[in-house]
Amino acid sequence: MVNQDKLDIAQEKAKHMFIYFSQLMDKPVFDKNGEWVGKLYDIIIQPTEVYPQSSHLVLRKGFPNRKYAVVKWLDIQEIDNKDIRFKLDKSEIRFEEIHNNKQELTLRRDILDQQVVDVYNHKVIRVNDIHLLFVDHSLMVAHVDISTRGLIRRLRFEKAVDFLVSLFNRNAKYLKEEHLISWKHIQPLSVNPVSMAIKIDVAQKHLHNIPAADLGEIFLDLNAKDQIALFKSLDITTKARIFTHIDFKTQKSLIEELNTNEVVEILNNIPSDEATDFLEGLPRDTTHEILSSMESKQSKKLSQLLGYSSDSAGGLMTTEYIAFPKDTTVEAVLKQIKDRTFKVEPAQFIYIVDENSHLIGSTNFRHLILANPQDSIQNAVFRKTYSVRLDSSVKELAYLMEKYKYYSIPVVDANNVLQGIITVDDILSQVIAIAWRRLKKIKILAKQ
Amino acid sequence: MKKEIRKFWRNTLIFLAVMGPGIITANVDNDAGGITTYSVAGAHFGYSLIWSFIPIIVALVIIQEMCSRMAVVTGKGLADLIREEFGVRVTFYAMVVLIFSNLFNTISEFAGIAASAELFGISKYVLVPLCAIFVWWLIVKGTYKSVEKVFLVACLFYLSYVFSGFLSKPDWNEVVKSSVKPVFQFNKAYLFMLIGVIGTTIAPWMQFYQQSSVVEKKIKLKNYKYSRLDVIIGAFVVNIIAIFIVVVCANTLFKQGIRIETAKEAALALKPLAGKYCFYLFAFGLLNASVFSACILPLSTAYSVCEGMGWEVGVNRRFREAPQFYALYTTIIIIGASIILLPNVKLIPIMLISQASNGILLPFVLIFMLLLVNNKRLMGEYTNSGIYNILTVITIMGMIGLSIGLFFTSFIH
Repeated sequence: MVNQDKLDIAQEKAKHMFIYFSQLMDKPVFDKNGEWVGKLYDIIIQPTEVYPQSSHLVLRKGFPNRKYAVVKWLDIQEIDNKDIRFKLDKSEIRFEEIHNNKQELTLRRDILDQQVVDVYNHKVIRVNDIHLLFVDHSLMVAHVDISTRGLIRRLRFEKAVDFLVSLFNRNAKYLKEEHLISWKHIQPLSVNPVSMAIKIDVAQKHLHNIPAADLGEIFLDLNAKDQIALFKSLDITTKARIFTHIDFKTQKSLIEELNTNEVVEILNNIPSDEATDFLEGLPRDTTHEILSSMESKQSKKLSQLLGYSSDSAGGLMTTEYIAFPKDTTVEAVLKQIKDRTFKVEPAQFIYIVDENSHLIGSTNFRHLILANPQDSIQNAVFRKTYSVRLDSSVKELAYLMEKYKYYSIPVVDANNVLQGIITVDDILSQVIAIAWRRLKKIKILAKQ
Repeated sequence: MKKEIRKFWRNTLIFLAVMGPGIITANVDNDAGGITTYSVAGAHFGYSLIWSFIPIIVALVIIQEMCSRMAVVTGKGLADLIREEFGVRVTFYAMVVLIFSNLFNTISEFAGIAASAELFGISKYVLVPLCAIFVWWLIVKGTYKSVEKVFLVACLFYLSYVFSGFLSKPDWNEVVKSSVKPVFQFNKAYLFMLIGVIGTTIAPWMQFYQQSSVVEKKIKLKNYKYSRLDVIIGAFVVNIIAIFIVVVCANTLFKQGIRIETAKEAALALKPLAGKYCFYLFAFGLLNASVFSACILPLSTAYSVCEGMGWEVGVNRRFREAPQFYALYTTIIIIGASIILLPNVKLIPIMLISQASNGILLPFVLIFMLLLVNNKRLMGEYTNSGIYNILTVITIMGMIGLSIGLFFTSFIH
């Protein structure tokens, strides 16, 4: 956060301390005796903090046999938008055929003109220019510019276009508007050629804060190669969140790039109804292969779910729910809920079962909190809990849930043994699909 | 045995899923301008230019295959890659020339629609606006999948030229003989025609379009061989159809010594010689080719420019989500269609400008492609191999020479 404060103060103090990368690019570089060394080609940054600082610069000279040299930032005497002067002598700078800095993040190769994720607006954008700030003799990456004006500046028409626009309208929005996005909201997508993963650093935590549905949409905006690279570099929670919010086709193409263990890890971390939906779409051989490499308990559960028709209660339900034996005390229940971690599915209701897992009733958090902690959970139960059978239809489910205002409804087998629950969001997506089909039919009929 | 049959079916299914970009891009090559060139070539030089289609097939496969490969390996369009590797200024100027050349190409496609309207006895003031609206509606309301299906059906309609070829009852022995045995005529007209025939085959928009559509299809690396097959089949199909156009005109017009300048004149001259069915098939082929290309050219322009400039792209997006994309697409169609409806519009300068801008842009695009496809950081192990690279350089130099040749010959004319 120190950097943030530093930046804020600097912003107020001196607006002229900002410079665009395009204003530095290809500027001449001189040694301590004022002799020409080369042109500034690229800047290597240290992505360790929220606002990364420049660490080296890359020089380029010669055409068509181009040569590059990497020089430490500390060796710079002075830098401005006209030229760069070194503390070094020309002889100390060694030029080579290529600059080998695969591991670092560089402005020109990895950010300028590339696609990056704007994690604030949840969009994939292309960088037109980079806004840099002078801090203690080094440069700090402050913003990226995605405006048309940035594009025009790169084309070196800025003055001409500014002049033309001001002829028509002195106060044109174009002249004042700056479309800068703070670096802290930027996730670069440059792919490390060795690990084939995205160079992820501080910014990954920003990806965590994006709602899963938006994350899925950003993901779909990327090209297939970036999708895989980004996916591989994420932690398992984020992976699971993205996986449940992308369409089947993208899921499938991702899975093809992962090995079976990685697939199993993802499937273990998403709700079982999402996992079954996905497995159902795969060829039978692949499903078998995945199930056989799973833990037997999990694979048994999934293969059982796969056996139910996809529009029946059995096919829609998830097996992640909270259930407790009837004799558990309210205090113990609350403690266990606190300690347990749940997957994505919201846990709204607590189900109460007997020793043979027969469904007795249900309760919610409000009831539990109000109840006497020493009481057994049986006393906090609602008057009556409605449940559905494994083969109940979507219509039946929707009707019951609407009637009793349930967020989730328990599913039991013929012997009243609790099998799973169905949450309202799963029903909603089913009902919307049915409604759409009807609406389309009506429209087609009307046209005829 | 059973296993092999199953494997064959599986491969066929994968190919059918991957197929599209190569065949579509190659077929648009036989657009109104292409049909005109081939008709004139057949009418003025008989079968003697047919051999040139074999090197054309090779060149087409080599160049389009690289686009396909780059698309599958990098997952990015050509304009994307040029912007990322060569910077925004180069991209901007390339895009300006591309818009220019594609706009004038589109105008000549609408000229093709107008010409076929006259052949069918319909007023061009009816057919041109109707086609423009159809073309616009198809992309704005369609999704990538549905649009591709329409395009593939349009590719099938090119068979009308094959039928008209058979209706003209050619001497097949002679056709085959002249296609494998190069016959040079060292006169100015023949060389100009040769440059014209080869030069119209590879246009800059094709590389952009093919790469973008392979990217949009999200073809996997492991299915790349099917994508390559798609390119090869496309190159063969398009040239076989071109050969049929030459054959029709050679067999009728050349034998009677009839001189023509346009595809419309070719069709009209065919009527008394080869019968009205041959005439209708020829005219229908022209209409189909023109409408089809009038769809693809504006689409390809909008794709490339928005990719390069970093604007939202895609047939699957709505107008508000990708305003620049649809604005560019719509503008090119409107300008293209309305210029043709102007009274006394002259087509020759339009053709010249489109050929000239193609000739300027093509060398740059091909050199960019060569640099990109050999960039290890982008392509990994999928860069060109040594021999293939030599072949590519020869092809590219040949194409550059021809397109510059075309540029100059069109002005000398």
